[in-house]
Amino acid sequence: MSKSQIVTGGIADDAVTANKTSGVARPNVNPLIINGDMAVAQRGTSATTLTDGSVGFHTVDRFAYNDFGTPSSQHTMTQESLTSGNAYINGFANALKMDVTTAQSSLDADDAVTILYKIEGQDLQLFKKGTANAEKFTLAFWVKGTKTGTHVVELFDRDNNRHVAGTYSISSSDTWEHKVVNFPADTTGVFGNDNARSLDINWFLSAGTNFTSGALQTSWGAQSNTQRAAGQVNTVDNTSNNWHITGIQLEVGEYTSSTIPPFQHESYGDNLARCQRYYQRIADGTNKMIGLGSAYSSANFFMVIDPKVTFRATPSIDISSASNYFLVIGNNQSDFVDDFFLEAQTTNQMIRMANTSDVSLTQGFAYFTQTNNANAFLGFSSEL
Amino acid sequence: MIENVKKINNLGEFACYKITYPNTIRVTYAPHDEANTDYQNILQWVADGNTIQEAD
Repeated sequence: MSKSQIVTGGIADDAVTANKTSGVARPNVNPLIINGDMAVAQRGTSATTLTDGSVGFHTVDRFAYNDFGTPSSQHTMTQESLTSGNAYINGFANALKMDVTTAQSSLDADDAVTILYKIEGQDLQLFKKGTANAEKFTLAFWVKGTKTGTHVVELFDRDNNRHVAGTYSISSSDTWEHKVVNFPADTTGVFGNDNARSLDINWFLSAGTNFTSGALQTSWGAQSNTQRAAGQVNTVDNTSNNWHITGIQLEVGEYTSSTIPPFQHESYGDNLARCQRYYQRIADGTNKMIGLGSAYSSANFFMVIDPKVTFRATPSIDISSASNYFLVIGNNQSDFVDDFFLEAQTTNQMIRMANTSDVSLTQGFAYFTQTNNANAFLGFSSEL
Repeated sequence: MIENVKKINNLGEFACYKITYPNTIRVTYAPHDEANTDYQNILQWVADGNTIQEAD
């Protein structure tokens, strides 16, 4: 068959565009949002009493509780297993759920609560932001909320203190709905080509007047707090209120609910490995192996951990520290220790830990370590 | 919310910062690395008027 015989049949040649062919339009091989299906939750599946002072990661990997001001609302965050509903029948078995456990019906002006996702600048270069060829952004997700009405989701460029907001409407209470939110391109402000935090995505759950008194910033502009969340309903005003989200995808370009390419499902293993660039929980609960080390001296135990994947940056140790929570075992003896600290030689590719306060070992002997309490845990954090 | 930050030394040299938080057994041992978020949080905590405790 010659090339001249290959035609598009009854469809006009110029009617077949990239946006109409599933997946072909993407310049990225892997999904830009890591763990968008909420499958990985290394720290645990439930965290209670999230409120002022709780900013950070608690359950589902990569998605953080975030707040501004001093909100009094309290929340339980869970990794939820789905067994029914529109998100479930579209292939999502997990979601992130925010349950209001203490309501705040009257927000102080500077109060706001968001679910926050952060992205490295080097993973955003394909948006060509700050250039003449800057691309539009499309954010799609499944959401279920008790509170109907207008909700705000924001892109915040941390490198240049610029932001843009979009809205989505929850039409039916406590019903999974698929939302596609478009954001314009920005020819101002380049994302840093490095491993630092460049773009924040904030899904607002509440916002005081310091965030709502202006007109919503629907085109990219310099930071203007009063324009960040105008129109946001207060989802934290009743303890009956819940908000759930899953199936999050960020796409290069502009799509509608009809043209958005399908969510890129990854295997659990691939998803976990991508999450582990930022956090690795290596032991949780009692009698869990940690690693092997040796006694530099009787009171100085060194241990080296080879991480599962290379960290984004030099990690911290995230550890439970309490009496006898860990064991050092070898040379026909065992010592209880409270925790391990980080050594300065640690890099993003190799971790060195030590204990010098609890051990009494035999110099030069090898020892392995494990947890010794149901509440013991050890992780490494290189979060953005 | 950081409660306290203390330097940890080993064999006479700086090893890391120990960060404690109120009402939890969770602690963080953070490197002296500006790309590390926990170290960034220490810098902000100091900028807010707090003081890092020297090593024993």
